[in-house]
Amino acid sequence: MKAIYGLYPDPASAQRAMNQLRSSTSELGVEPGNIYLSSGEPLDEFDLGWREQRTFMPWLAALGGLIGGTSGYLLVSFTQRAYPQPTGNMPIVALWPTGVIVYELTMLAAILTTLITLFVTARIPDLRGSKLYDPAVSDGKILIGVINPPESAWDELEKRLRAAGAEVVKTFIK
Amino acid sequence: MKRQWGMVIDLDRCTGCEACVAACHAENNIATVGDDQAAKGRSMHWIRVERYWEGEFPDVRLRYQPVFCQQCADAPCESVCPVYATYHNPEGLNAQVYNRCVGTRYCGNACPYNVRFFNFFNPVWDKPLNLQFNPDVSVRSVGIMEKCTFCIQRIKTAEIKALAEKRELKDGEFNPACVQSCPANAMVFGDLDDPQSEVARLAQSNRATKLLEAVGTEPNVICLRSVS
Amino acid sequence: MPVRSVEQLNEDILRPLVRTSWRYYLAVGILGSIVLAAVAAFLYQVYSGVGVSGLNEPVFWGFYITNFVFWIGISHAGTLISAILRLTHAEWRRPVTRCAEAITVFALMIGAAFPIIHLGRPYLFFWLLPYPSERGIWPNFHSPLIWDAFAITTYLTGSTIFLYLPTIPDFALLRDKAHGWRRRLYRSLSLGWTGTPRQWHRLEMAMRIMAVVILPVAVSVHTIVSWDFAMPPVPMWHSTAFGPYFVAGAIFSGIAALIIAMAFLRKAFHLEEYLTPFHFDKLGKLLLLMSLIWGYFIVAERLTIWYGNDSPEMAVYWSSSQGRFTHLFWFMVFCNLLVPFSILSIKHFRTITGTVIASTTVVIGMWIERFLIIVPSLERKYLPYTWGSYRPSWVEITITAGTFAAMALLYMLFSKFVPIISIWEMKLGMRQEAQSPLPIPVETRLPQVVAETNIPASVS
Repeated sequence: MKAIYGLYPDPASAQRAMNQLRSSTSELGVEPGNIYLSSGEPLDEFDLGWREQRTFMPWLAALGGLIGGTSGYLLVSFTQRAYPQPTGNMPIVALWPTGVIVYELTMLAAILTTLITLFVTARIPDLRGSKLYDPAVSDGKILIGVINPPESAWDELEKRLRAAGAEVVKTFIK
Repeated sequence: MKRQWGMVIDLDRCTGCEACVAACHAENNIATVGDDQAAKGRSMHWIRVERYWEGEFPDVRLRYQPVFCQQCADAPCESVCPVYATYHNPEGLNAQVYNRCVGTRYCGNACPYNVRFFNFFNPVWDKPLNLQFNPDVSVRSVGIMEKCTFCIQRIKTAEIKALAEKRELKDGEFNPACVQSCPANAMVFGDLDDPQSEVARLAQSNRATKLLEAVGTEPNVICLRSVS
Repeated sequence: MPVRSVEQLNEDILRPLVRTSWRYYLAVGILGSIVLAAVAAFLYQVYSGVGVSGLNEPVFWGFYITNFVFWIGISHAGTLISAILRLTHAEWRRPVTRCAEAITVFALMIGAAFPIIHLGRPYLFFWLLPYPSERGIWPNFHSPLIWDAFAITTYLTGSTIFLYLPTIPDFALLRDKAHGWRRRLYRSLSLGWTGTPRQWHRLEMAMRIMAVVILPVAVSVHTIVSWDFAMPPVPMWHSTAFGPYFVAGAIFSGIAALIIAMAFLRKAFHLEEYLTPFHFDKLGKLLLLMSLIWGYFIVAERLTIWYGNDSPEMAVYWSSSQGRFTHLFWFMVFCNLLVPFSILSIKHFRTITGTVIASTTVVIGMWIERFLIIVPSLERKYLPYTWGSYRPSWVEITITAGTFAAMALLYMLFSKFVPIISIWEMKLGMRQEAQSPLPIPVETRLPQVVAETNIPASVS
């Protein structure tokens, strides 16, 4: 993977760079999906990221909760009926205790589903570190770059990234 | 066969001699805990005779109340045990399964009669009591709850014998150790569901009452007491 | 407000991770020894039997269960502060959330150890877990102890995730700055985080869902713990009010613990600019509110019982109104109501020192409250012949001291490896505040950043 990127000191210059790149996709033969942004904190209020807002995460969490609750009910009713031992003159599968277990397992399943969905959709853990990144991002710089641009566009991209206000333009090869 | 084992204690006959306590210790391999531990409140008398003084001098009266596991139909101790170490067996007894107990002691807290006992240490028998174990009863180790079982070992022995002889159990054929040892014949044991048994007959008495009935545990032990 | 740049922020918050003084090692040594003593005491108990404690008939539960309820209660601090303040977009929570969430996780771990410590046969604790055992039986789901097992597992899992997720970007920052084995550690912990908009959005969405889910879990956990007492027919335990009463008490003690932890961190790590008197003022007001709610529950419980005049319950009531627990009871009221109310209701006294004094008395008072819920009821049950008394032994006292030391120790180790204030959330808040068109009251402002050029929101 080859990439070229610039490090920007503030969101305003990063916005300029992003606009530049987006407007030149057809001209330079750059895929819009290969335009890359990396920052040390979320930059929601700027129109820097493309619309990543759609997510089914809450729905998946609710679905996970439903599955968890059902498994809780199955656990309680199957195991208690498999080896029935009456206690305290209560039914073998009692309503309230079953309710407590179902509730807790619903919540646990919702929590774990959220975690798994996060990992899958954010594509972490990424322990091989194959994504474009520069440690300067931790110092507050914003990284804007293009992954695998066509060779012909390389110099032009470098010029435009610098013109938008990049402190430094680097290449990334992995 | 569906049975409901129960007992009737005639409090007007009880003399407070505590022969039942000694017999229970002997029959069920219960250790004596020693002076220090008893002072700390760790005695283990599956049956104990509570003594209450009533009235002011010179009209003082002494009242004796033997208390042991009431084998409650709505036992609060059974539902709180997390590992099913205590459950209601088909013959109406509150069964204690020593091997399952992990020692949360929740059942001991839940019992309103305080008839459940915990092995705070490994039980020790001073000589010569160490030669006097009942082979029909297991010896419990540290960390386990125990309580009166209505001498379930005697119940099982009698049932197996009756099965082998292809006959029904007779009322009064066997008794728990406490009932057997009572010199005043104050205790009667039998099947409360059998209308012919003596215990069912005595339970109908107009002197019949139950201990802590208002708590709602539905005990299977009936006390006969004339209220004067 | 002092001027802070991003570099200054990084340096301030990362300084504890970088520099360690001899005082730190000394503290770790002392705390570690106390914890080891507690472990030794526990092993002695496993070897000899629970009889080495002060427990007896009828008081089957004593210090251990007091500690259990107390520590689970403390764990409600983080959830309240973090989740509720996140959901209500209260900006002043930014420096506070991580230390609060850390308290939750460690207090839960310590609290969850006690159901194992107090067992007669602790090496068989796993029989309370639902797994297909060779004996063919599963746990008794009717038992409140099993509800505890499920609730605490859910809450511990949820709280750990709730603590971990917002730490991932900070681990990424540490990965970029660290060297050697630390770099490898942080590289694993940061999971290859690169900070793309997609990752940020997903992370914030996950945090939002977690905040919504963790709140009902927290309420349910301490309710279920209270039901350990409320379910059996024990005088003054079998009360319908126990659920809300315990949750209120938990939040109360949790906020107090948080204030103490924050004050300590502020002093030890020189975070005066980040944990300001404003935060202590706000938390102090919350503590005052919880103190009043706690007082309301005490009045409601005791008045109802006294008025009802039910003999078994009155026997327990008298043991704390006229009997051997009277002094302890009034000392508890002094700690939980009198001192907090006097200090926290007067603005002049609601300083950092004031709130810390109030919080310390609250922590002591709430520990005593758990004790007074458990022991007097067990000492005086229905049959007077069986009434008993309880006195803790050195084993229980050592283990109790060990838990306080363990909490402090875990916290100190945590703050040595993880920034105790969430760096990215602080930066985000600072930037949003600087851009805000509305005037923000001076006290609530996060550490300000000076704009060096004419471009607004300059983070350089």
